[in-house]
Amino acid sequence: MTRRLPQLLLLAATFAAGSALAQPIDYDPRRAPELRACDEHQYHGRVDQARACYSQLVNSPNAVMQAEALWAIGDLQRANECFRDFVKANARAVQPRIRWARLFLQTHQYNDAAELFRDALKIFPNDPHAKIGLARVLAERFEGEAGPLLEEVLREHDDLVEAHLLSAQLALEAGQHEAAQKALERAGDLAGKQKLPPLEIFALRAAVETSRDRDAQPWIKRALDYNPRYGAVYEQLAHFEIMRRRYREATSLLQRAIEVQPDLWSARAELGSNLLRLGQIEEARQQLTAAYSGDPYSPTTVNSLRLLDRIDQFDVSSTPVAVAGDTYVVRLRLHRSESSVLEPYAIDLTQQAITAFSRRYGFKLQEPVTVELYPDHDDFAVRVAALPGIGLLGVTFGYVVAMDSPSGRASGDFHWGSTLWHELAHVFTLEATDHRVPRWLSEGISVFEEWRTGPTPGVVVPPDVITALSEDKFLPVADLDGGFIRPAYPNQIQVSYVQAGLICLFIEQRWGFERVAALLHQFDRANVTTAAAVQATFKMAPADFDKEFDAFLHSRYGALLTGMNEYQAQYQAARKSIQSEQWSDAATTAKRAAELYPEHVGPGSPHLLLARALDKLGRRPEAIVAVEKYRNAGGWDPTALRELARWLDEAGRDQDATAVLQSLNYADPLNAEQHVQLGERLLADNRAEDSLREFRVLLALREHDQAPALFGAARALYALGDRAASRRNVLDALAAAPHYKPAQEFLLKIVEERTKNE
Amino acid sequence: MAVAAALGKAVKTFLLAATLLGLPALAGAASFTVIVAGLGGEAEYEKRFREQAASLAEAAEKAAGDKSHVVVLAGEQARRDSLRREFQAFAGKIKASDTATVVLIGHGTYDGEEYRFNIPGADITGSELGQLFDKLPAKQQLIVNATSSSGATIEAWQRPERVVITATKTGGERTATRFAQFWLQAVSTDAADVNKDEVVTAAEAFDYANRQVAASYKSEVALATEHARIAGEETATFALARVGSSALSGSSPEVAALLAQRGKIEQDLDGVKGRKAALSQDEYYDQLEGVLVRLAQLQKQIDSKRVVQ
Repeated sequence: MTRRLPQLLLLAATFAAGSALAQPIDYDPRRAPELRACDEHQYHGRVDQARACYSQLVNSPNAVMQAEALWAIGDLQRANECFRDFVKANARAVQPRIRWARLFLQTHQYNDAAELFRDALKIFPNDPHAKIGLARVLAERFEGEAGPLLEEVLREHDDLVEAHLLSAQLALEAGQHEAAQKALERAGDLAGKQKLPPLEIFALRAAVETSRDRDAQPWIKRALDYNPRYGAVYEQLAHFEIMRRRYREATSLLQRAIEVQPDLWSARAELGSNLLRLGQIEEARQQLTAAYSGDPYSPTTVNSLRLLDRIDQFDVSSTPVAVAGDTYVVRLRLHRSESSVLEPYAIDLTQQAITAFSRRYGFKLQEPVTVELYPDHDDFAVRVAALPGIGLLGVTFGYVVAMDSPSGRASGDFHWGSTLWHELAHVFTLEATDHRVPRWLSEGISVFEEWRTGPTPGVVVPPDVITALSEDKFLPVADLDGGFIRPAYPNQIQVSYVQAGLICLFIEQRWGFERVAALLHQFDRANVTTAAAVQATFKMAPADFDKEFDAFLHSRYGALLTGMNEYQAQYQAARKSIQSEQWSDAATTAKRAAELYPEHVGPGSPHLLLARALDKLGRRPEAIVAVEKYRNAGGWDPTALRELARWLDEAGRDQDATAVLQSLNYADPLNAEQHVQLGERLLADNRAEDSLREFRVLLALREHDQAPALFGAARALYALGDRAASRRNVLDALAAAPHYKPAQEFLLKIVEERTKNE
Repeated sequence: MAVAAALGKAVKTFLLAATLLGLPALAGAASFTVIVAGLGGEAEYEKRFREQAASLAEAAEKAAGDKSHVVVLAGEQARRDSLRREFQAFAGKIKASDTATVVLIGHGTYDGEEYRFNIPGADITGSELGQLFDKLPAKQQLIVNATSSSGATIEAWQRPERVVITATKTGGERTATRFAQFWLQAVSTDAADVNKDEVVTAAEAFDYANRQVAASYKSEVALATEHARIAGEETATFALARVGSSALSGSSPEVAALLAQRGKIEQDLDGVKGRKAALSQDEYYDQLEGVLVRLAQLQKQIDSKRVVQ
């Protein structure tokens, strides 16, 4: 097999050996005794002795030992070459292949690592260390298969320390403290017997204590007593704080980690990413630059630094907004090419959200809230996870919201206003509880608020969630976090979002909205589990809550679940009839499909099929009703709503049409023609201030054709009584387009008026 | 000499104004347009190309004020022999002082050496097309090659007083283009008329179509597979279409005289804009207002004369 580490790894040769990555603990008993002697120094933090010891082995006749020694002293390029040559010459070698895979794992090349682990398993299908390595890769990517693979290993090899360690880590990430502690106790016993270093066990024990809001110091002390340079103990704690979205706490821990171990590059990289989450750009840059100097292999570090190189392309604004007698500051970080277009709508929506959520959740923001919109989805992805290609739309880090800009996706792909609303709800749920709210509840409230108070109100339950419900895939409330953290099937995260939203909807309908807020505030205190919070809020056991929720779901969706086959038949028939232009048949079947499943407002909604068929049949008023039902149920497709606005105009419902067009600013704000229409409509409707906003946005969108926007602004300002600004705007319009007749007429009018009044 | 120079300037101003506003540009001058719709290959493209050609012809007829000044070659009429024949016949109608516009819609290819326009039968090469254009007597020419790979032709087709527009940057941009549909919008609506003088020039139409192409790819978050180019010195004065009220009326000597006056006021306007940095804000807007009010009042006169006609 020919395998090369990619370009970045080749660059490693240019780095000083002292700045290289420390080799992680090798628990495999097949590790050579000569290496173990050196490891002892390493594990106790005796760096110089360890280095001297490994250096003596770099010219070993044993190629694998040579590779290990080179890796340990930081010469990763030569280590890679040694492993590669050895594996090439020994096609059936298993352990060297696994170690080579570990080298890839350490340098963040997960695909290559997984492939090598799988190659090892092809040669020796039962090698537990290859399985553990593969499980580590899966765990790094938060893939659900990690757990079952580990269970498989532990069934046959209960004496493997690393398997218990990884099992504890997974349990802890899922909030299963008891299971984590049990696994760590077992790992501790085994490590003692097998004379393996207990460092990672101590670090995870500390993390368990922190997750329970207990004092982790004794375990930290034990780790540092064993190895005074073991910064990973703090890094591990920070990892779990980040999992709990407690970014400030994580920052302190990561700072501590690099104090203890300045060359712990992974901690520096994580600190840089975490500072970015907190909006501390310059500090983040410093840490990421330092991390890159020691670990140039990390794509997250490289991507983050590349993004920071472009950060000056963004405008930063601070706007005070008044809400119920208080003033809050909204910071926007918008790309220069679109900041003037998006700023008014982003500010408006943020102000509305602060007003709504402050009142509903009884919490006042303590810091300015920052909203960042990224026109390039990969920049957003790097910003939030430091990896391009993730499928998220928005992420909230406490008071910082980062999300895709509407320009980053095709028109109709996502509703940026709803996404912002969703994320701003997170700001409240996170900050009100000092980030203790469990993931499911934070997401559930955000989804629920989209449905209840957002720019596109309406409970939206997509077909794949209905399918999951029919297949009994909803999780018990106490386990719902697992659906977000380690999904077990492809769309489980999406299903979990909607389930969480439905739980909030159920609470609101069963007990009133106040209980949703009350449940949230259960997490104001430390160390509260979902089960305890449910018990305290509803005075019932989680299992009983689940039963009532299930009854609610079946009451709400029972007809659809039993009629799913009929729905599918009617829906498909409607689609076919539309394709063959059999409008009457299409109307009948689409109507039935919409009745059966009114919440289907995504692409291909039966409401829209019905509207189209009715319109073709000349039944426009009914077609309007169909699109209005679609809109009231949460539908927002820009093309459909533009059509609705046109129909409403033709039906003499101008103001309703204007309202529909205004709502499109939160779905598709970059359509210049929309702002022309809105500016004119609002002006005609004596809403000069709103009209002025539209013309100003138009001015930003059409820099090459400014006259109409300036002329519109001139008229809006005139209506607002600002004659001087109106005059300047019309003169600017005519300076750009001297023969623009409507503006000429307006100029003559205002000059004549002025002359009369003089 | 001073008088002659002043007179020369006035004449130049008049010519410019007439070129911009008058179609035909000068007394006795006329505008001619040839539109060729190439082979679609698929029914959808075939239909699209023919419809675009027909709509472009309609806009060109409106601008020329004479249907016989516009010819559309599509289907069998777009074969190479037919193209040669039609171009020759068309050339017979055109004088040197006229303007000629050629628009090619369809698919083009480029093999690294030669551009080919896909038409029924054997394709016609870029060199052969260039020879046809060279035989058109009109000095002022606009060639719009809206096909894929059209960028391969821009250098070869350049001549003095000829504007060449291609839908693609190079011959290597081979995907079917969107340029023609936006070019059609540019010459048939007032959307491209950014200075609102009711005349769409080649520069304005190009700028509009180019922006719309880019916007269409951006709205789909798709990689743009075409990047239009324009070459030639007369882009801002090559008038293509009349929009608004000017489309409804021709010009008379009286209107022409008023247009000459308007040209002078436009020069005054340029003067004020040029002095902007040296003026206070109040001074700038006061001076701007003075000029623009004169211009607006004169425009009313021009429009009243046109209505009378």
